[in-house]
Amino acid sequence: MRRTRVAARSSGQPRAVLGFVMALPPLLLIAVFAGLPIVLAVGYSLGHTGGLNSVTASYAQHQHVATSGWGTFAAYREMLATGRFRTDVAVTVLVTLLSTAVVLVLALGIALNLRLRGGRVAGAIAALGVIPLFIPVVIASWAILTFYSTDGFIRSVFAQVGLDAPALGFKVVTIVIGSVWTSLPFAVLMVSSGIQSVPDAVIDAARDSGAGLLRTTRSVILPMAFIPIVIATTFTAIGVLGSFTVPYFTGPNSPRMLGVDIQNYFAAYNQPQQAIVIAVTIFVLASGIAVLYIWANFRSANSKDL
Amino acid sequence: MARRLTTNVLLTLFLALLVVFILGPLLWLGIRAFATSWTYPNLLPDGWTLEWWRKVIADNQLSTAVQNSLTFAPLTVIVSAVICLPAAYAFGRHDFAGRKIMLVGIFATNAFPKMGLFVTMASMFYALGLMQTVLGIVIVHVMGTVVFMTWIPAAAFGAVPRSLEEAARDAGASPARVFFRVTLPLALPGILVAMVMSFLASFDEAQGTYLVGYPDYLTMPTQMYSLVLNYPLQMAAVFSILLSIPSVLLLALAHRHIMGGQLAEGFQLR
Amino acid sequence: MKRLTTVVALGAVTALALTGCAKKSGDDTAASSGGKTTVRVLISGDTNVQDLWDKGIVPGFEKANPNIAVTVELDLHGEHDSQNLAKMAAAVKGNSDSGMDLIDGGFVLQAAQAGFLAPADPSTVPGLSDVPGDIIKAGGGGGIPYRGSSVLLAYNSTKVAKPPQTLDTLLAWIKANKGQFTYNSPKSGGSGASFVTTVLDKYLSPADQQTLRTGYDQALESTWDKGFAELKSLNQYVYQGGVYPNGNAQVLQLLSAGSITMAPVWSDQFISGQKTGQIPATIKATQISDPSFTGGAAYLGIPKNSPNKAAALKLASYALTPAVQNVIATTIAGYPVIPLAKLPAQTQEIFKAAHPDTLRPTYFSQVTNDMNKAWDDKVPGK
Repeated sequence: MRRTRVAARSSGQPRAVLGFVMALPPLLLIAVFAGLPIVLAVGYSLGHTGGLNSVTASYAQHQHVATSGWGTFAAYREMLATGRFRTDVAVTVLVTLLSTAVVLVLALGIALNLRLRGGRVAGAIAALGVIPLFIPVVIASWAILTFYSTDGFIRSVFAQVGLDAPALGFKVVTIVIGSVWTSLPFAVLMVSSGIQSVPDAVIDAARDSGAGLLRTTRSVILPMAFIPIVIATTFTAIGVLGSFTVPYFTGPNSPRMLGVDIQNYFAAYNQPQQAIVIAVTIFVLASGIAVLYIWANFRSANSKDL
Repeated sequence: MARRLTTNVLLTLFLALLVVFILGPLLWLGIRAFATSWTYPNLLPDGWTLEWWRKVIADNQLSTAVQNSLTFAPLTVIVSAVICLPAAYAFGRHDFAGRKIMLVGIFATNAFPKMGLFVTMASMFYALGLMQTVLGIVIVHVMGTVVFMTWIPAAAFGAVPRSLEEAARDAGASPARVFFRVTLPLALPGILVAMVMSFLASFDEAQGTYLVGYPDYLTMPTQMYSLVLNYPLQMAAVFSILLSIPSVLLLALAHRHIMGGQLAEGFQLR
Repeated sequence: MKRLTTVVALGAVTALALTGCAKKSGDDTAASSGGKTTVRVLISGDTNVQDLWDKGIVPGFEKANPNIAVTVELDLHGEHDSQNLAKMAAAVKGNSDSGMDLIDGGFVLQAAQAGFLAPADPSTVPGLSDVPGDIIKAGGGGGIPYRGSSVLLAYNSTKVAKPPQTLDTLLAWIKANKGQFTYNSPKSGGSGASFVTTVLDKYLSPADQQTLRTGYDQALESTWDKGFAELKSLNQYVYQGGVYPNGNAQVLQLLSAGSITMAPVWSDQFISGQKTGQIPATIKATQISDPSFTGGAAYLGIPKNSPNKAAALKLASYALTPAVQNVIATTIAGYPVIPLAKLPAQTQEIFKAAHPDTLRPTYFSQVTNDMNKAWDDKVPGK
């Protein structure tokens, strides 16, 4: 399937030029309204306070100004030396790993159940996993906070039988719960689509040769659905990494996730340069994850085109 | 047989937990929209009322926000489609230098936290005269939809079998006719999914909208924070339900295609 | 090709039609027509301040100035302060209209510092001639002080018969009554910030305190260490082992609901909350001493390139007239910034005990920013 599609993409000279021109409008839009500000922001974090950055520079506190032509890493050094920042990076990475792991397990469970058992119930479960896609994140965060808080559902249910359940509002755990809730749909869609496309014949053959359910899954289904699973993983991780709304509503004052830190450094501490250092940190971490995505895609493209 | 039973019991348990996990918070909040008051640890409210709905509907500022959200979302979808669909076709059907880099670049700019860009964006929008204009807000919203509107339709265009198009052309159809009679209908589910995702992205955008739109254009998400903390919890619940209605309608509309793998297809880099 | 044209045209028409549906929030109250000037007020704060403007200030001002209309927008808790400051800064630098003519909120002082605001002194705002010079100076050259308030210690009188009278006895009470006290994170509201400032000041000499109130001295901030150590040691005694809510209002809710017994609260929010019944009568408030909780003035700011500057200056000056100062005092229990002698005897009576003229001011705005960050770094979760 994939091979024929790639081969069928036309690549003649004039058509290639036409294709390039057609692809330009959205790229220009992004380059002007997102790319340029990003470049300027990174420049500001390196101490370049002139040009459009002079607006911010005129009210910022604790600013590091470039002394050499390319800039200075002083703002980065300052942040890395802050214990609080290091803790927040660690928590952000931890929440990202935990949420991604839980999301992946749930998505795999839902998808395998749909593939191997099938039926109306399995379909209903999969549909259930997609519902959060359609709920705005602000509402989701708020709903989750009230559900797990001191006077929320969980504690109410336990109180019915005289037990005292822990209040989960404003904890790191709440951020993980919220992140899992909001990221689940995309992962379910990716993973189940990947696993659905494994042909019946392959599964039957593996089973006929005596492989159990676990082995069939591990050595046949998962390798064949490798790419969608990697995509689900990387997109979930990148989404959680830079999230703001969920941790802002449901998380504790300390430790905090980096997305919330940006807001604080901007507004509450009046240190926009340091805020951008945090933004760049998120971007670098996300790029690290994105490499996994690109690697997986190229690996599969190469192995299939050869 | 015993094993099968265990699996079934485990599965039912898993399903029950999942239902509570996904739907619980929504129901718990939703019920409040009809509640007079609620005393911990009761599982149901103290009484029922429609009072909060009347209050929300009577509030002028809120209904303006609802109207704006319902305007900007479809507007964004249309503008985004006009700008991005030709590009999606090019990405799906043509091979040109830097194609993959462009695809990844579209995604990469999205991964930079927008909060770091407000000041520069504000300066630029002022310089271009876009501040407090409908066009300015639409630009902010469209930026958040470009990934969906290029990636997903690109995969859909790429998946249209060439043999069908060639057959139509052999039968004497003009290129435009082939495109509208063969290519577009086959790629339509993918485009539809991209439109739904774009609608939702626009519907959810709050930070940038506030930057560009304040004080003239406020949308539902920009108002949500004040609502949540400012009004009784019950009114926030009513507002949440209202905010979810368009999404749920879309879910009903595009459910089949989204579950059918159109979304998943779109995110594979080819 | 024909169909493509049709599709594009159809899309364009729909898009244009939709553009017309986007509704400006001011449309319904539209008053910009007929040669009227409109002053757009942005409040970054709590709902009681919006009530003050909507009911206490605007109607009287519009009546006295029939050719000026006023619109008021609230940004709750300053949630969008970073957007609004970014926008105003960019607008002033690029000489465009920022969409705000008069700002009532925390970032006014930040903007004044950067020179974005129209200079404010008795020559431009006549009402300022009645206001003490120190308070005007703390406004950084562009901030117009128009009301004051202080932080009080609120307590549940059904559980506490005799509230602590000094900071030391309060700290001892907190430690003796685990989980019964909390304050909001200083960045999220002034009542928490006041508690933190007060504990920090306990270990500072009066001269050092004065320096931090009137200017920015980063070196002096190292003297906070002892105070922060004290605050950190309170974590385990605070509500739920260290939960600090976001915002003044959330603390008041916890107190009203009986979840906690004692907390620092804004005097104006407390008094108006009791009036509306949101805070039960069993909650009482008192001031502590050695040192007392801080208070301070709220400042108005006018972007220096506001197209409606003249009208905005007029409105600011109006806010300082004895009549409005009396409204501020009676409706939201704010302290007047003009001499009490100019107010009706009844109002003077209310504030006799509070001594608004002897308010202990908060730190300078840049110092407060640093304090917010230091608290976040050093106290919660440690």
